[in-house]
Amino acid sequence: MSKKLSIVLIVILVLCGLGPSQTGIKKKRPLPYEYGQVVISNYSERADLAPVVFQHWIHRSMFTCRVCHVDVGFAMKAGGTNITALDNERGYYCGTCHNGRMVVNGKTVFQACSRGATGEDALRCQRCHSYGLHVASDFDFFRFSQPLPKERFGNGIDWEKAELSGLIKPADFLEGTSVHRNPLAVQKDFALNPKVEGMPDIIFSHKKHTVWNGCELCHPDIFTGVKRGSSHYSMIDISQGKSCGACHVSVAFPLTDCQRCHSKPIA
Amino acid sequence: MKRRPNRNDSSILRFIVAGAIFCAGIATVAQIDLQIYLPKNPPPPAEYGRVVLDNHTPNGPGAVVFDHWLHRSKFTCRLCHVDVGFAMEANATGISDRTNHAGFHCGACHNGKTIVDGKPVFAACSDSKNANLAQDCLRCHSAGKQGVRQYEYSKFTARFPKAIYGVDWELAERNGMIKLIDFIDGVSVKKTPLRPREDFPLQTHYSWVHPITFSHEKHTIWNGCELCHPEIFPAAVKDAVHYSMFYNIEGRYCGECHGKVAFPLNNCRKCHEGAPLWAP
Amino acid sequence: MSRQLLAILLLVGIAVPYRLNAVDGQRSPDSQPDRASQSDWHREFDDLCSKTQDSMTLSEDELSTLIHRCDALLPHIEQMDESTKKVYGGRLRMCRNLYAYVLGKKKEAMNHEKETEQK
Repeated sequence: MSKKLSIVLIVILVLCGLGPSQTGIKKKRPLPYEYGQVVISNYSERADLAPVVFQHWIHRSMFTCRVCHVDVGFAMKAGGTNITALDNERGYYCGTCHNGRMVVNGKTVFQACSRGATGEDALRCQRCHSYGLHVASDFDFFRFSQPLPKERFGNGIDWEKAELSGLIKPADFLEGTSVHRNPLAVQKDFALNPKVEGMPDIIFSHKKHTVWNGCELCHPDIFTGVKRGSSHYSMIDISQGKSCGACHVSVAFPLTDCQRCHSKPIA
Repeated sequence: MKRRPNRNDSSILRFIVAGAIFCAGIATVAQIDLQIYLPKNPPPPAEYGRVVLDNHTPNGPGAVVFDHWLHRSKFTCRLCHVDVGFAMEANATGISDRTNHAGFHCGACHNGKTIVDGKPVFAACSDSKNANLAQDCLRCHSAGKQGVRQYEYSKFTARFPKAIYGVDWELAERNGMIKLIDFIDGVSVKKTPLRPREDFPLQTHYSWVHPITFSHEKHTIWNGCELCHPEIFPAAVKDAVHYSMFYNIEGRYCGECHGKVAFPLNNCRKCHEGAPLWAP
Repeated sequence: MSRQLLAILLLVGIAVPYRLNAVDGQRSPDSQPDRASQSDWHREFDDLCSKTQDSMTLSEDELSTLIHRCDALLPHIEQMDESTKKVYGGRLRMCRNLYAYVLGKKKEAMNHEKETEQK
């Protein structure tokens, strides 16, 4: 009994010490090529491999969000998909494209996770299982981003403008994986009123979001039945990854870019 | 059968309880002991705001010494910490010669092309092994080296009005002695500016603490919104968080700037109306 | 003895191919998924999830039917190998939840209309 009590007391004292050190400081801003990086470490270490480092910027220049997050079925949180090497070998998840046969933009996509990897194959493993290792990539971020229109924060790239200018053409359909759907009726953009007086209204670009994400990505998991006008999207909730924060904290343009959303000037 | 009380168990328990009471006692004393709420004296003004960047690269050019006073006489805080994206902590940004070459971080301006004060800014981390260019390396990689830097604090700041500690930057700007640049082509992105915010009073927790009127307007002119919100000041509701001096001295909230670069926390009267000019 | 042996061989001869065909979604570890020859469940899945972009224009009855069909297909997918179960189960749930969400919104809008009419 007294041992249990002492453990409880120690835990309480330690937790009290940990409590206050979280807010009030500026966090490290990820470098433009680090923004959108996802580290996946479900089973890698068990297989004696470094955790996987997935870079969003390469993939988002080639595919819409919907292709990966709806058609292929990736979760929206690191480790949430629970990908195994067997899944990849069977042609699911990463293996949907990373199969040594699919050709994207004229290049054959390297195969992920093959059994009985030989010495040279093992180097291929490191192309994804690269956490903490210095691995040369096929794509150099600086060369890649140089011709693209610039924006502040995040990757430092205005992905919207890049698409509108035809500099990137994200594919929205993967043969053999995506389901043939009718084109979506154009969704209307709408205004959201901010809680803080003096902040410009938010014009939510429903149209653009549905072009990239379809409906299922957001509804109902990220945006459940909240009546329009009853504002439930506080900036604090968003910064913790709820609602808009599911994307706009670590992959899409970050919350520091206030005017990207708060864009309707007050009369 | 009755269990014999274990002597070891009860002595551990007594130790834990005594320790908890002792810690609680310290905390109570600290509440009324002003020393916990008073900052230590800052270094001399020439060294205040100095950031030493040292990635400990073997056989590298040595640590970089970045003094804020030169850059803050020319640019707003927002330009560097929001548009360019420097972190607010030494070595936290991830600057390397590679990022500089690519036009990020120091290389955003230090590229041999961007014009400031009518002349191009020298290139940082040049590729060339030219001996003359090596001098430029030393202008930044100056830790422990004498006579390599172009500007010296007392000469550069001689003409600026002085405060109780260092330069009175606010007055210098009001008098038109410095004109802060808030936009650099190729670095900044043109945006519809957000409306500058109004000043507001901050609730103090103890009646003997002098009142504060927070200069929100000035802060938004120099920092924009993004520098402070939401990371440094997450609460959108006033008085939702107690920005105690204890946290500020730790380097959180106001202390994120006013402990290292902006006027130090020792200058009580700058925030607390009617308070002593300098902390005892 | 020979009759017994024959009976055993016959049983094995029938059971083994049956076992192999039992779960259509089963893929061998080193081969690509057999998308070209679509099995029934896969066709049903494609049909169900192809209507997500039309969900706003469907009637309440149509949405309810789609939800029931999704609920009927899910147990079948749950019988498959781990990977197929994970991927297609997740995708089917996404489609099904979208239809349920849109149905909920339509019902809400209908109730709101009735209330305003009554007033």
